[in-house]
Amino acid sequence: MTMAVGGAEIFPAGTARPGDDRRLTRVNTNEAVNVLVTGPLLDSERWRRWWIAFAVSAALTVIFFGSMIYLFVAGIGIFGNNSIVVWGYPIANYVWWIGIGNAGTLISSMLLLTHQRWRAAINRLAEAMTLMAVAIAGLMPIMHMGRPQYFYWLAPYPNTMGLWPQWRSALIWDFWAILSYLLFSIVFWYTGLIPDLATLRDRATTRAKRVVYGALALGWRNSARHWHIYQTYYRTMAALATPLVCSVHSIVGLDFAASLMPGWQETIFPPYFVVGAMYSGFGMVVVLCAAVRWGLRLEALITMRHFDIMAKVMLMAGTVMLISYATEWFSGWYSGRGVDRRFLGFEFAGTYSPLYWIMIFCNCIAVQAFWFRSVRRSLPAIILISVLINIGMWLERILIVWNTLSHHYVASMWRLFYPTLWDWLILFGSLGFFAFLYLLFVRFFPVVSMHEVRQLVREETAS
Amino acid sequence: MSLVLLAEFEREEALVNAVGQLGERDYRVIDAFTPYEVEGLGGLLGASPFRVRAAMLIGGLGAAALCWFVEWYSATLGFPFDSGSRPPNSWPVFPLFPFEFGVLMAGVFGFAAMLWSTGLPSLNHPFFDSPLSDRASQDRFLLAIDIPSTARARRTLERLLADMGAEAIEEAEL
Amino acid sequence: MSAGTEISRRAALKLFAAGAAVSLAGCSRPYEEILPYVDMPEGMAAGEPEYYATALPLGGYARGVIVKAVEGRPIKIAGNPRHPASLGATDIFGEAEIMALYDPERSGTIRGPNSISGWSEFFAELLARTDKAKSGAAPLHILTSTVTSPTLLRQIAELSGQVPGTRWFAYDPAGGAAEGARLVPRLDKAKVIVSLDADPLGPGPMQVVLGRRFIDGRRSADQRMSRLYAVESIWTLTGANADHRLALPPAGIEAIAMEIAGRLGGGNAPPADLPGEARHFVEAMLADLKAAGQGALLLAGGSLSAAARKAVDDANRKAGAPVDRIEPPQGLPHPEALGDFLASLYGGKVENLLVLDCNPAYDAAPGKTFADRLEAVPFAVHAGCYDDETAGLCRWHLPLSHPLEAWSDLTSADGAVSIVQPLIRPLYETRSAHEVVALYAGQPTPSGHDIVRATWRQDETDEAFENWWRGTLVSGIVSGRAPKSSSLSPAASPAEALAPEDAARTPPKGGFTAVLRPDPTIYDGRFSNNAWLQECPKPLSKGTWTNVVSLAPVDAQALSVEDGDVVAVASVEGAVEGPARIDRGQAKGVVGLTLGYGRLRAGAIGTGLGYNARLLAPGSLGNVVAGVKVIRTGRRAPVPSTQMHFSLEGDLGKLLPEVTAGEALPGAGKPREPVPSLFGPGPAKDPYSWAMVIDTAACIGCNACVIACQSENNIAVVGPDEVANGRAMHWLRIDRYDLGDAAEPRHGFEPVPCMHCEKAPCEPVCPVEASVHDTEGLNVQVYNRCVGTRFCQSNCPYKVRRFNWFAYNSGQEYQDLGKEPMRARFNPDVTVRARGVMEKCTYCVQRISGARREAEKTDTPIPEGGVTTACQDACPTRAIQFGNLQDPASKVNRLRADRRHFTLLAELGTRPRTTYLARVRNPNPKLAGDSA
Repeated sequence: MTMAVGGAEIFPAGTARPGDDRRLTRVNTNEAVNVLVTGPLLDSERWRRWWIAFAVSAALTVIFFGSMIYLFVAGIGIFGNNSIVVWGYPIANYVWWIGIGNAGTLISSMLLLTHQRWRAAINRLAEAMTLMAVAIAGLMPIMHMGRPQYFYWLAPYPNTMGLWPQWRSALIWDFWAILSYLLFSIVFWYTGLIPDLATLRDRATTRAKRVVYGALALGWRNSARHWHIYQTYYRTMAALATPLVCSVHSIVGLDFAASLMPGWQETIFPPYFVVGAMYSGFGMVVVLCAAVRWGLRLEALITMRHFDIMAKVMLMAGTVMLISYATEWFSGWYSGRGVDRRFLGFEFAGTYSPLYWIMIFCNCIAVQAFWFRSVRRSLPAIILISVLINIGMWLERILIVWNTLSHHYVASMWRLFYPTLWDWLILFGSLGFFAFLYLLFVRFFPVVSMHEVRQLVREETAS
Repeated sequence: MSLVLLAEFEREEALVNAVGQLGERDYRVIDAFTPYEVEGLGGLLGASPFRVRAAMLIGGLGAAALCWFVEWYSATLGFPFDSGSRPPNSWPVFPLFPFEFGVLMAGVFGFAAMLWSTGLPSLNHPFFDSPLSDRASQDRFLLAIDIPSTARARRTLERLLADMGAEAIEEAEL
Repeated sequence: MSAGTEISRRAALKLFAAGAAVSLAGCSRPYEEILPYVDMPEGMAAGEPEYYATALPLGGYARGVIVKAVEGRPIKIAGNPRHPASLGATDIFGEAEIMALYDPERSGTIRGPNSISGWSEFFAELLARTDKAKSGAAPLHILTSTVTSPTLLRQIAELSGQVPGTRWFAYDPAGGAAEGARLVPRLDKAKVIVSLDADPLGPGPMQVVLGRRFIDGRRSADQRMSRLYAVESIWTLTGANADHRLALPPAGIEAIAMEIAGRLGGGNAPPADLPGEARHFVEAMLADLKAAGQGALLLAGGSLSAAARKAVDDANRKAGAPVDRIEPPQGLPHPEALGDFLASLYGGKVENLLVLDCNPAYDAAPGKTFADRLEAVPFAVHAGCYDDETAGLCRWHLPLSHPLEAWSDLTSADGAVSIVQPLIRPLYETRSAHEVVALYAGQPTPSGHDIVRATWRQDETDEAFENWWRGTLVSGIVSGRAPKSSSLSPAASPAEALAPEDAARTPPKGGFTAVLRPDPTIYDGRFSNNAWLQECPKPLSKGTWTNVVSLAPVDAQALSVEDGDVVAVASVEGAVEGPARIDRGQAKGVVGLTLGYGRLRAGAIGTGLGYNARLLAPGSLGNVVAGVKVIRTGRRAPVPSTQMHFSLEGDLGKLLPEVTAGEALPGAGKPREPVPSLFGPGPAKDPYSWAMVIDTAACIGCNACVIACQSENNIAVVGPDEVANGRAMHWLRIDRYDLGDAAEPRHGFEPVPCMHCEKAPCEPVCPVEASVHDTEGLNVQVYNRCVGTRFCQSNCPYKVRRFNWFAYNSGQEYQDLGKEPMRARFNPDVTVRARGVMEKCTYCVQRISGARREAEKTDTPIPEGGVTTACQDACPTRAIQFGNLQDPASKVNRLRADRRHFTLLAELGTRPRTTYLARVRNPNPKLAGDSA
């Protein structure tokens, strides 16, 4: 895909489809970009719908933190876990959120490195999603712990007991992976924001905004010398982010694969977790893009072509997922081990099998509709399939936990998991908290990377 | 701090053209201000990302090495213990933590080096006193040229800039 | 780690222990001299445990125990090796007396007619009433459960002499058959054993001894191993451990008993009317019995008629079968039966009643009739440990001391007598049964100590008596003298109980036959408020906290009832409701019920659980009720269970392999091949490498190890809801698997503690070094290091770890288990785990550490047998062996070379230190085709 793909459709007048052109059909000047992106931020009149959404998400956020406080007071027994299925919703939620968190960095870094310039319209959206998803993902293991107040014992620090972390544990790798990824993503996201914050500072309508955005912009003055250093740093970060993001979800895969339980101990887990993460992440990006595009009227910047491309990426990822599942099934059967074959039987025909079949439909079958261009060009269809993908990917994670822990080596200890109200409250609360954070981001930060789009405008108009 | 002439251009081509021409005529172009990165311009003006690169390399590798050392030290000397009959120096599992933390530290060091190299943050830079400065972050291209020592030369320069398409020329402090 | 932190931690633990001891005010040794089991050095160090021999009753009979006390607090009960009814092992009921002692709901105050009262107020009223009784106007009626205490028997006899017209009634709430001599089979000597609805291996005062004898008989060289046939209607532990089992309704068993007893005795008994397969079974069994000669042994259960029991007894006598006959003590009074008491009560003849340490309003005659009559008794006095159902109907309730608080004496089922010495001064204002009877004899301030000593004092010098007394207290067993008896005897002559079971023997007029058994963990209801026993999984169903209604699969299908559906069981006299359990291998037409539940006033733990099976036939103590109806209610009440899956289809059979007697397990006994490893050998080990070998063939499923472990290791009780949530905390579980096939289903038991894998999967996954290996090969859990990620349990192939989802023992206890006296039960050597940490079997590391300290004092290595685990100590059959692998002569090394040795999930390469011996079955070749 070349820069022409996105550009050709985004910018020249008249090419936008009917319905996309309610506000602005020509985004062929720098000022057009500035107006589109900064306009809503500097005008507090346009936010009625935002307030409704914000109130709903704030209510869910209260539920989320209320449940968390109750969890810390009452103890982890409020969840549905039992002594056999010792892991439950928080772990599945964690893997799901961190998976969503992966796509943002993939979009900004991998596509930047491969010169997929169309990313400029959506990378900020995706990076913000990453930050928030990873932050929420990071809360989940803490909520999962029996003694959350001691989570910092996973870090090496001088203590009176002279103890150190246990480096062979996948959870230590995981702890560092999440922490590094979260902090790295914050730096990366903020670095990308600096020039746009400078734009906001210079367009600010009130002194307060000028001061706040000005302080956040660190005094950026668009110097060509600075740009040179800045872009070197930014591209190097992108280059580092790509292996980082792959390693993070590989390590999440190792949380399971570095065990000896049937259904977990599989070498395919790290790569298939990375693809799965990208898959669900793109699903979430699609939903967010559609929402932001509608809410902020960015139809001219985020076009159907963007959705079309993302649909193709999801089609690819969904197919890889199918191949991964098939590989799991085959190697389980081919191993000849009774425990693995029994495990397969349990997946397909056991207590959780209806969920398993729903998962296969959501993750592998539904996405095949994207072979058709008409589906890829239909926003409702894309959103529907993206939501299905995210449901399917969540089911995949909970089933990885449930199937293995419910149906393992020792038949006497086979046991099922029954979720409680608190399991659901934390899950939906975390969605609400995500929306809460995202709405704040949308309200106060430029959702599109203006300086990169300006560059794109120049390249398009020059050609 | 020095006084410069700030010339405002509407288009990137005009700015790039001006930089080239001014360079041929031995004017000292101090800096340029563009709403996005004009590729190659920074290098032309002598900016060097060396510090950023060095800091990222050193920060990343150094942090990774430190992490590995912490792992090795704590597992073999600090608090060795039997964990599932694994040897204390279980090196095959050691690279993961240094990698993650090394990447993070490369990013953090790089960010610090970027600030150091660019002199940021500088919230009250005199550049912002120029009325032209606002639009450099939006849609205009500014060029800062050292003011020639004589008034005549300055007039020549201003005329030259106007010819090259400068829409406004202001004196500013940098 | 620096030495400094080590010391401060130890100091902190000491302070903690001291604090825990101080917090229980009034915990101290009795005023009278009590004598430890093993001589202790003078000047006891604070915190050092002391061990005392005493005896505890079950169904009235003694089991000798050794109680461990720390700072005056009894904390652990183990068997007394010198006591013939204990042989050093225990049953769950004995272990759980610790829980009963500290039960906060144990009665501590006297309740008078309307309010809390005092002993002197009671005595005042008693004196007035006694005068009336002496005049013959209101003779004293005493109702007890089975009494074997020589002192109490003496007191009752003396009292009836003092107060003419006194009548004494006794009954066994568990419904044992009334007999003259007690028959104690020598299962170790028998070669072919046929249990006819008897349950020698089931719960009861002789379980430990009979279990040991049975397994001894199985262990004798493989070729001559004994063979057990069980003919029974509902599953018992005996049936579960039988080589062959035949399920028949009680009437069928009766017929078979008559037939084989007759034919074995050489006669020509009429053949029972049996279907073909059962006929085949009986013929094969008979042939086997005949071939066994003097090794043939028939056991008759309580559901058989007196005639059948007599026929069986005669057959045994004739064949010279190995049975000990324990004659009742001579010269002591015999009680009248419950039926006589009820007749008297319902006839309005009872005005002056002492209900001593029994609960007839619950366990004998529950229901309105009895309650109304009892309430109408003008001077009804209930003396018991709990303010229970009967207490609520009596004018007075007197709190009795727990057996660990009072002086007494008891006789075991095989006739051995023990002195019961208190370990602790009564926690509340309680008195012993002896002291209560002494009040009736007019002594205002009786001393239990003196009363008991008076029974044993002969014409001798003080010094001679003291020497004998002290020696007896130390050993825990009376030898060399008979109790002082009284020539006086109660007015009535001993009468056979109103044979309630006779009703069952008339062929049922359709409907189901209900078979009642003592509950395997609650027994007859006396232990209802004992949380350890409530949470102890029933050996076969693995259900907890309730009793169920078991049905044969065909009957369940006919009724369209599934597991967990609530069914009502109704007789002419009453009805009960409980969750159904479909039991493969239960006789068709039989509905199985257990006693001990349905308590209305048991306390916070036991009230309102399950149903009271006695409601089907109040006033009868029989264990068969014929002609009952079973009705589906449409409601569901799934039973909180610790195990959900029992079948071993496919290659799961490797989890519990079985060999035929004399066979070897493939691959067993060979040295282990080294497992290739990327990492090479682990760190070098100390001179000790602890290991455990469990003989699954010797496990009779009695649960003694489970409760012993719970007691030793401060394991929390989580309550029924948490058990239903799958969060039971037992470190040691007994897996029960289905063996055999649909035609002849069988069960196999497999105790599973932590495997202590050498290459433990739980260790490398722990991020904070909470799960680590020590130098002696123990996989240890460092509680205060644990942050609760639970990766260890996720990765444990054996699933032996348990997680504190709530602060089960430290602030979020079930019901009243967190109340003050309860905290005194904790073993101070074992940390009470906090919320959010993982825990598991430690091989009783505190005992290893104690043995190491002892060994270091003398600078000698820990000898073989120097460390025993709590489960090993408790096991009646010695199925669990523990020792040092580095000692070539150790028992564990010998067992590891056994032909039946196997490792659980050996293919995973975890190299467990806990390994197993396969189950052994000794089938009759003629019946071998019956099951694969």
